[in-house]
Amino acid sequence: MAAARVIAIVLRAAPSVTLALLVVWSILDVLSIPDPRRGFPLLGLAAAGVAFLLLGAKFQARSTRTLGLVCIGAAYLIAHAVILGIDLVPALVFISVLIIQVELRVLAERFAPRFEVDPGPDAQRRIRGALGRAVLRLTVAAVLSVVVPILAADLAVAGVVPVTTIPTAIALAAGLVAVVALLALVPSLERRTA
Amino acid sequence: MRTPLASGLAAAALGLLLSGLALRSWQLVLLALPPIIVLALGSLFPPVRPRVVAVRSLSRDRAEVGHPVEVHLLVRNEGPALDLVEIVDVLPRELAVVRGTNHAVVSLEKGADVSLTYTVRSAVKGDFRIGPVRVRSLDPLVLGAEDAVVRLDARLVVAPAMEDLRRAKLGPRRTRPWFGQVPSRQIGAGTDFWGVREYVAGDEVRRINWKASARLDRLFTNEYEGERSGDVVIVVDARRESFIGTETENPIEHGVRAALGIADHVLASKNRVGLIVQRDVLDWVPPAFGRKQLYRILDHLTHVRPGGEWPFGHVVWVLSRFFPRDCLVVLISPLRDRAALSGIIGLAARGYDVAIVSPSPLAIEWRLAEPLPEHETAYRILRLERENLIAQLRRVAQVVDWDPATPLALALRRMGAWPRPA
Repeated sequence: MAAARVIAIVLRAAPSVTLALLVVWSILDVLSIPDPRRGFPLLGLAAAGVAFLLLGAKFQARSTRTLGLVCIGAAYLIAHAVILGIDLVPALVFISVLIIQVELRVLAERFAPRFEVDPGPDAQRRIRGALGRAVLRLTVAAVLSVVVPILAADLAVAGVVPVTTIPTAIALAAGLVAVVALLALVPSLERRTA
Repeated sequence: MRTPLASGLAAAALGLLLSGLALRSWQLVLLALPPIIVLALGSLFPPVRPRVVAVRSLSRDRAEVGHPVEVHLLVRNEGPALDLVEIVDVLPRELAVVRGTNHAVVSLEKGADVSLTYTVRSAVKGDFRIGPVRVRSLDPLVLGAEDAVVRLDARLVVAPAMEDLRRAKLGPRRTRPWFGQVPSRQIGAGTDFWGVREYVAGDEVRRINWKASARLDRLFTNEYEGERSGDVVIVVDARRESFIGTETENPIEHGVRAALGIADHVLASKNRVGLIVQRDVLDWVPPAFGRKQLYRILDHLTHVRPGGEWPFGHVVWVLSRFFPRDCLVVLISPLRDRAALSGIIGLAARGYDVAIVSPSPLAIEWRLAEPLPEHETAYRILRLERENLIAQLRRVAQVVDWDPATPLALALRRMGAWPRPA
């Protein structure tokens, strides 16, 4: 039972910790913009995001919370895409952490209450099994979502085929995205036609 | 079915892709990949439609308010293996889970089962339906879901708590020809001495007054006061306007409790009891004796919910058409309806004995209110108005102004003999 309580506490804390990490990361990057005239609007966007997140947490409003996350993500992306320039690896990690935060919150909402009560040893074992699988697949998704784009970037910039011009790199990246998107859509299409 | 998370990821990916193409930034295009990869992984293991069967058992199907009831639910997977499945045994909002859980998130292999054991408790009376069982199969990244509903209902009747009125003196003043426990002020079969008369052939030997016979040198027989039974009709005011306070603390809930206690007490004294409930419909139970009648009344009281706008005049009409004229009418009402005053005067004028038990809405509201000076002023004004109304009603009826925080028996005892003797 003590272990279950620890799992519940960790599950409850994990989304908040990752969210705090994202907020600090985003604000630090925005603060590093040398020109204050361009930095202030983005800082305002990040502050609005934090405010929405706090309001969403206080009033249990899911849409407000989502809006807060979008603001934080947008502040980071605009800062890098328009002013600072995109450093691919940290940007990929940021996006992955953003997705993981949402997934963790969904999992925590479902699983944490199950560990706070004692549903019996058999049910407890099944709940742990289900949580283990979900965490494993989330970890795989997080690793792949960082590694695959890096491989794609390598292919585009210095890969087997020397495609170093910007238009060809964009075309190759877009092609890779299209392949993965098809991979994502095929099972759904199969089910719809079945 | 796609979850909002899947839609959000797709929108983010599309936004990043279009932004990358618009800004001619291959880095931005590549940033569209993480959400798409997560979507792809979710789609590789889509959730299957759950096919489950469920069996539910209750430790009891009838309980009193506040008493725990244990529910055991067994869910078996009859379809393919479910990676992540969420099971909820849907409960009415009045039932609170006090131990265990009615919700599980588990993995279920084909043919495997999961059992949920939990204890519920209701703070209000009612006829509740537990169920159905809702099952949602999710993919492990919670991007898609398939729902199924197992139509499995169980009925749980929660009866109102009963007021202990064993020591209260309350009963009809006017009697009917049937034997009972109410002194009838007529000679008959009973235990209270009434008088002495000359012996006539056929008198029981044990009733001969030997002292008087010896003194006067002829036989005399004792006579006793006959004990008969009477009729009591309980009228419960459960109209919408009588609902003041919270779901558990309101004059209707307390009124129902009082009605059940009075019915039990009066029936135990071998009288007939009838019931009229003013709610969405005018609901009534004709007077009858015995334990079965108590269960009939209990059944009707269990279903009482605030509602309806029936004026008191309709109750008077039902009383005059379907109930005996010489009965005691016990009206249980918070007395929010000043128009009822004329109806009660009319009842008294027609010869009914009327008694009123009024669960005080002011006392209930006062306990819920914050202790502010303006609240205190408002409370005093409203109390004066209520006392004025009760003073007017006391001219034609016995009125018990009852603070539901105290036992009803105490409030009745303060009234002395009830109803007052003729």
